[in-house]
Amino acid sequence: MSSGLVADMDTGSPSTSRAPLVQAQGVSKLFPTDGHSKVHAVVDVSLDIGHAETVAVVGESGCGKSTLANLIIRLHEPDEGTILLEGTDITHMGPRKLRPLRRAMQIIFQDPFASLDPRVRVGDAVGEPLKIQGLAKGAELEERVAQLFELVGLERWHLKNYPHQFSGGQRQRICIARALSLNPKLVIADEAVSALDVSVQAQVMNLMLGLQNEFGLSYLFISHDLAVVERIAHRVAVMYLGQIVELGSREQVFRNPTHSYTQRLLDAVPIADPRQRRERPLITGEIPSPVWAPGTGPEIVIHAEVEPGHFVAVE
Amino acid sequence: MPLLSVSDLTVTFDDFTAIDSVGFAIDARETLAVVGESGSGKSVTALSIMRLVELGTRAKITSGRIDFEMADGSVVDLRTLSEPQMQGIRGNHISMVFQEPLTSLNPVYPVGEQIAEALRIHEGINKKASLARARDMFDLVRIPEAEKRIGQYPHEMSGGMRQRIMIAIALCCGPRLLIADEPTTALDVTIQAQILGLIKQLQVETGTAVMLITHDMGVVAEVADRVVVMNKARVVEQGDVDQIFHSPQDPYTQALLSAVPRLGSMAGKDAPEPFHLAGSLE
Repeated sequence: MSSGLVADMDTGSPSTSRAPLVQAQGVSKLFPTDGHSKVHAVVDVSLDIGHAETVAVVGESGCGKSTLANLIIRLHEPDEGTILLEGTDITHMGPRKLRPLRRAMQIIFQDPFASLDPRVRVGDAVGEPLKIQGLAKGAELEERVAQLFELVGLERWHLKNYPHQFSGGQRQRICIARALSLNPKLVIADEAVSALDVSVQAQVMNLMLGLQNEFGLSYLFISHDLAVVERIAHRVAVMYLGQIVELGSREQVFRNPTHSYTQRLLDAVPIADPRQRRERPLITGEIPSPVWAPGTGPEIVIHAEVEPGHFVAVE
Repeated sequence: MPLLSVSDLTVTFDDFTAIDSVGFAIDARETLAVVGESGSGKSVTALSIMRLVELGTRAKITSGRIDFEMADGSVVDLRTLSEPQMQGIRGNHISMVFQEPLTSLNPVYPVGEQIAEALRIHEGINKKASLARARDMFDLVRIPEAEKRIGQYPHEMSGGMRQRIMIAIALCCGPRLLIADEPTTALDVTIQAQILGLIKQLQVETGTAVMLITHDMGVVAEVADRVVVMNKARVVEQGDVDQIFHSPQDPYTQALLSAVPRLGSMAGKDAPEPFHLAGSLE
């Protein structure tokens, strides 16, 4: 029923001319807990990502946004549903068959220090995907890595250094260089700018936007920061307890938030302008648990298309 | 006479100067935000006021005054106090809340007991009276189901509830100044809004001044009366919140503000847009 959540002709997204790059259809993922209960991390989610499009997934801790990213890039295997990459079903594909397809999808994580091996020179780290995929070696590999460093605003002499010799922003640039080494079509950025200082965050976002213009990259941008998302996304999906409660173009979701949770989320964002201060009611509610006993589970939402390309869970 | 007046404060770690001739003041009942990026010296400034910066570290306060107005109107330079004297200041007159409530709370004691312990130490009241007061603090920080929650352990609570407990501990002895070091940075945005609203409301109810340390310009715009901007160990600019946001004078402040994503700033635009970064951030 939520299969209507696809890139639409009228959303202004650049994905209209071809079939979507990635299609997630009715995807679910459950994780076991200590007992017999299960965490319903992602519940019947359908989402398309077009070519050269940035789709942002927003929501609070535990809403399933990272699990969704990991399902799409096949770090997790879905329990239900299908994942299509350029029309190829990769839902249950094994690691060997998946390897060549992984060139098309890369991921950048939140903590660039945890993502880099402290004992590997950063030049080697960036070259490793090319080696594993057997795409380059020797002088050609070195030259390609040097080009990648220049692309993300680092210097050639940085290649021989270790991760601890770089700042957080530089490390994230290294992770971006590594993600780009295989000329991917989709880069998943899982809170990739959240740990950075605001000035560095802006620089890394500018870099990501520039790379998108240059190479036609698609981004799946996972974030809890709505102000950042408003800046970078073409389309926005709002997740709550494992399900998408609202999906639309950036303009639709930010200017006409229709689901009560989207409204609550937007109301809570502090606005960096003291002249726009708002009185807020003192609320105390917290998000319920996504853990369900065997045989029970969340009610699956039904979406209504409130305007072309703008889908909202019926409340 | 301001409640707290810091002047010419310098702290060094061996050869490294963590804060350099820092000066600012906080009035009673006021919210002062100290903003800056990682390593700018904002936390060292807070720890210096609490005189915690030299404990167990190689840090040294090499110059400056930290003048604090006591409840009776007398002014003491906190820098001249001994450690036992400072223990009488901390909690009673100046309290502090940190970023991560889980590491601030003791995992093996119920949260109610941890509030009660602070009351027993600072006010010398007995166990029964301290637990009754702890129960009242639950109401003050708006924790529902106080009877059930008071016996819970930190791991049984959410991040937002834990931060409410930390605020309860900080406020239970009625301090005149609350220093909050990134109190909502680890929280989700809806919980952040709750905690900021709570701090604001408690400030009205108790008259406590708040020194809020944060990297988040949105939070600053939302709650601060005045702002101190720090960069590379120095105060580069300070002023009224409206002046800082709408006519920043210092090039660093201007650059910092140009990098802040503002909700609503993209209205009516078709495609994502890069930040137009000012000056040194180009």
